[in-house]
Amino acid sequence: MEINNRDNNRPHYINPYLGGVLLGLLVIITVYITGRGLGASGAVKSAVVTTAEAITPAHAESNPYMSKFTGGDHSPMYNWLVFESLGIFFGGLLSGILFGRLKKIRIEKSPKITNKTRLIAALTGGILFGIGSQFGRGCSSGAALSGSSTFSLGGVIVMLVLFGTGYAIAWMFKKLWI
Amino acid sequence: MKEELFVSGRNIPNIDPYLHIWHWQIPLYLYLGGLAAGILFFASYYVIVGKEKQMQTTVKWATIIAPIALILGLGALFWDLKHKLYFWQLYTTVRFTSPMSWGAWTLMAITPMSIIWVASYMREMFPKWDWKFEFLKKFEAWVIKNRVPFAWVMMALSIILGVYTGILLSAFNARPLWNTSILGPLFLTSGFSTGLAAIIWLSKDEHERKALSRIDLIFILVELFLIIHLFMGFLASSEVKAEAASLFLGGEFTVIFWVFVVILGLVFPVILESLELRGYHIPAWLPPFLVLLGGLVLRFVMVEAGQITRFLY
Repeated sequence: MEINNRDNNRPHYINPYLGGVLLGLLVIITVYITGRGLGASGAVKSAVVTTAEAITPAHAESNPYMSKFTGGDHSPMYNWLVFESLGIFFGGLLSGILFGRLKKIRIEKSPKITNKTRLIAALTGGILFGIGSQFGRGCSSGAALSGSSTFSLGGVIVMLVLFGTGYAIAWMFKKLWI
Repeated sequence: MKEELFVSGRNIPNIDPYLHIWHWQIPLYLYLGGLAAGILFFASYYVIVGKEKQMQTTVKWATIIAPIALILGLGALFWDLKHKLYFWQLYTTVRFTSPMSWGAWTLMAITPMSIIWVASYMREMFPKWDWKFEFLKKFEAWVIKNRVPFAWVMMALSIILGVYTGILLSAFNARPLWNTSILGPLFLTSGFSTGLAAIIWLSKDEHERKALSRIDLIFILVELFLIIHLFMGFLASSEVKAEAASLFLGGEFTVIFWVFVVILGLVFPVILESLELRGYHIPAWLPPFLVLLGGLVLRFVMVEAGQITRFLY
């Protein structure tokens, strides 16, 4: 079996340039099948709104942002982005199995930092990204990828700002990563 | 003046036009019944073919789930009853034309048999176990001596139990979604597949897991085949049946059925189990978990959707 001959200590990933081309093709297929683009942050938003609605219904209703997504015929979880994310999870799992990355649960990081640093930094970054994506009306999938593929100026701006800022300030935060 | 008096049997709250009497208890019971039937079937099968030693988890450890599932399922069924204290009246008659009568009598036999089965392996599983009383020890010796005939009876009963969980619904001729003879085999296959999944989850023996995975693959494929034929049958039938099928083909149950039952509960486990048989490393709990979840959702969807299908008038 080919997989067993590989060096299993390091995870195997696809070539990033090939991955980028595949992502672009995925957007075309998604638009063809569903009539709209991809997204990822929307599913998290649905989960947040559903949780808020379950715990404090009054607050969710009175909050001008969350109330936009509540009160429909279906739960906010009945949203194609939620199912798309479920697909991403299982698709990623399948990819991990096929390429032998799923031997055991591990935290991917540089050996110079601790697990704790990595997890706290990742969580903080994730929260900031979530807040930012809602101000920017979409994340790297919904706004940058799907947006720019329709030649939307907003999508192109998101793409430039998102990766530009990341590129510009990466040096300052390198100790949280490498 | 000529008065006309209309008497209509159509306005029956909770029964007509939509049935609204079965809640979570019934699908949970059907699921647990099928699960127990699957576990007991394979335990008996491997005793009959004399592979007790190779299939330790199937024959011994996993069977502990069966009586627990049966008792919890019967508890849910009892909870659902309106007149709880009249349940014993089921046992005052034997009616071959009534699936409920079949089910009641089968459960009356298979539940104690599953307990006896587990009890007869107690000393093997827990060497320090002691039955204390002489008559219990004698009874244990008798069961161990007659294990194969016992297994034959239990295997037959487990098939009846598995089929009955589907026939219970298909005997409702007023509900087009349920009124199909495919439901019996479909629920039997699904029950056996969930039973296998539970055993695979528990088993630590690589050979046993592989042997069971192969059988589970066949059962899942048969289940997919039955689901396709279920819908083909509906669509080729009268308008009401086509309308019942449309609940799953664009209607309100489309997403939950195709995503959770078919894709995650059947297709994905088939892919994972085939990869596992080819030597890929798969988290051991994942395929069985998905099969068990898919089976549970199937019962809930079928019971829920069936209640709102009806004959037009």
